[in-house]
Amino acid sequence: MARIDDDIHHADSTQRAFTLVEVRPEPVPADLAVVTPPSSEKRRRGDVFRPGPGPMVQFQGVIKRYDGDVRGLDGVSVSIAAGEFVFLVGQSGSGKSTFIRLCIRELRATSGHVIIGGRDLGELRRSKVPYLRRAIGCVFQDFRLLPDRTASENVAYALQVTGHSRQEVNRRVPEILALVGLDGKGDRLPRELSGGEQQRVSIARALVNQPRLLIADEPTGNLDPDTSQGIMDLLTRINRTGTTVLVATHDRDTVDRMQQRVIALHKGRIVRDAEGGYNEDPGDTGEIA
Amino acid sequence: MRLGMFFREALRSIRANAAISVAATVTALIAVFILGAFIPSFMYVRSAVSAQTSKVDVDVYISDTASVKQVNALRDKIGTLKTDGQVAEFTYVSKDDALRLMRERLRDPSVLDQLPSNPLPAKFNIQPTDPANANAIVAAVKDDAALDPTEGIVYPQTTADRLLTAAKFVQWAGFALIGILLVAAVLLIGNTIRLSIFARRREVEVMRLVGATNWFIRWPFMIEGVICGLVGAVVAVAMLWGIKVGVVDAWASGADTALTKSGSTAGAIAFPLLTVVLVGAGALLGAVGSGITLRRFLRI
Ligand SMILES: Nc1ncnc2c1ncn2[C@@H]1O[C@H](COP(=O)(O)OP(=O)(O)OP(=O)(O)O)[C@@H](O)[C@H]1O
Ligand SMILES: [Mg+2]
Repeated sequence: MARIDDDIHHADSTQRAFTLVEVRPEPVPADLAVVTPPSSEKRRRGDVFRPGPGPMVQFQGVIKRYDGDVRGLDGVSVSIAAGEFVFLVGQSGSGKSTFIRLCIRELRATSGHVIIGGRDLGELRRSKVPYLRRAIGCVFQDFRLLPDRTASENVAYALQVTGHSRQEVNRRVPEILALVGLDGKGDRLPRELSGGEQQRVSIARALVNQPRLLIADEPTGNLDPDTSQGIMDLLTRINRTGTTVLVATHDRDTVDRMQQRVIALHKGRIVRDAEGGYNEDPGDTGEIA
Repeated sequence: MRLGMFFREALRSIRANAAISVAATVTALIAVFILGAFIPSFMYVRSAVSAQTSKVDVDVYISDTASVKQVNALRDKIGTLKTDGQVAEFTYVSKDDALRLMRERLRDPSVLDQLPSNPLPAKFNIQPTDPANANAIVAAVKDDAALDPTEGIVYPQTTADRLLTAAKFVQWAGFALIGILLVAAVLLIGNTIRLSIFARRREVEVMRLVGATNWFIRWPFMIEGVICGLVGAVVAVAMLWGIKVGVVDAWASGADTALTKSGSTAGAIAFPLLTVVLVGAGALLGAVGSGITLRRFLRI
């Protein structure tokens, strides 16, 4: 039972550490302001994952080699500041998913350093990885919802993991579902929701622990353009509250329209890192498509 | 509380994988049933064997020509064996006692009246603390001057040896069988829990993704194993109870009391105690089975 106590203990501390912080001067949209910080914010020892003042995401000469000398990433150095909105683009197999999986330590770098919130993930003990993951919200192309749980239960699970009381869960889940535009659909199972709605559930789940970093791997990959637009708007609004957002995508239109920082990968290397559209430099046309 | 939540998660998993849970429960049921049938049988056989072995005794016959002093010396020698702990009990049977015992045993004691003198030698009847000591006792007294040269020492050597071997065999065979049974049950339950983990591997992946710790994911599986073990054990105990009341007790009361009085009640284990042992065993089977599996298949 000591382990469970440990869980609760850390849960509270991560909660505290990842309360939304205003980075940008823009006001918080009214509907987002509703995500109130957790009521119990006791200061506990041993905060497992509290981002420091430096960059939110930092890659230093990261090489990721898969079995058989396949290079997922081949010497990537990049820095993403807290509060940024960044697109990660590149053709299939260019290393976008590898980049993202390194951030949540689903993978470990073969060499180089992956530093999240000032913590070098290469030195993070395996037992601390769950606390890293609670500090990062994750959204995937295939939603990764628990199929036999309703939308509410899926979101609630992320709160239960971090040791929230049942009252807190009951209070925050409807709040966050309303926020992502799923008012009144909490009792539906994932298979009873459209793709876009399922993705909203997964975004709600990613947000419910108030992460300072939200990572999305092709969040609109399975959705039609209009629905994609809705999801992107939601991510933008989340970014305005100070959450760092990193989105890997193929979706050229969206990237072009949003005019944010774009990091382009090709064969595991960064070939462009600039504000703007998906592919502004005509010289890259042949490589990135 | 969290335990409540883990419990609900376990029940959810059991409901979601009903077939797998039933398989684990039936495995526990069979293991506990065999264990529950085996433990009383084993204890009965063991008590019967030890009842027989306690009857192995050594008769040391005394020569008619032995002096009182020599007989006393032999008595002292046996007395020493008793203080050494090899002899449990010994009694002196005089020539007259021997004749009287013979007379009691014969259907027509008048034949003894025709004897010119008492032909029966006196003896020491020795009961070893353990049948295994019989040989040592015999060795200690076999060259004594007081011994009757023709009768010497009589004890059922082969019976004693055979009983000893039987007792040892029963004991080790019993432990080995119980051991094999328990290992098999743990592996089978572990395997069904593995199926359960496998059936929910995508879920487990998602759980890891949202930052669930190892034990947060493991507890429900652990509880699932214990629930299956417990339910299986309870059903097995109910079945054993039915068999005990319907078959064993009925048979025992109907059968010749001479047979049952000697062993069955003496060696039997009380049913409430057996129930506690079996239900505990069921829970343990589930816990160990899922525990081992989780160590192997839920490394995170
Ligand atoms: N588990 C793996 N084992 C071996 N090679 C892998 C593995 N995962 C990815 N790769 C390889 O690493 C390279 C980068 O893959 P990655 O999944 O990061 O690409 P991506 O940019 O996400 O592609 P997509 O847009 O198709 O999702 C590819 O060549 C791929 O084949
Ligand atoms: Mg990918």
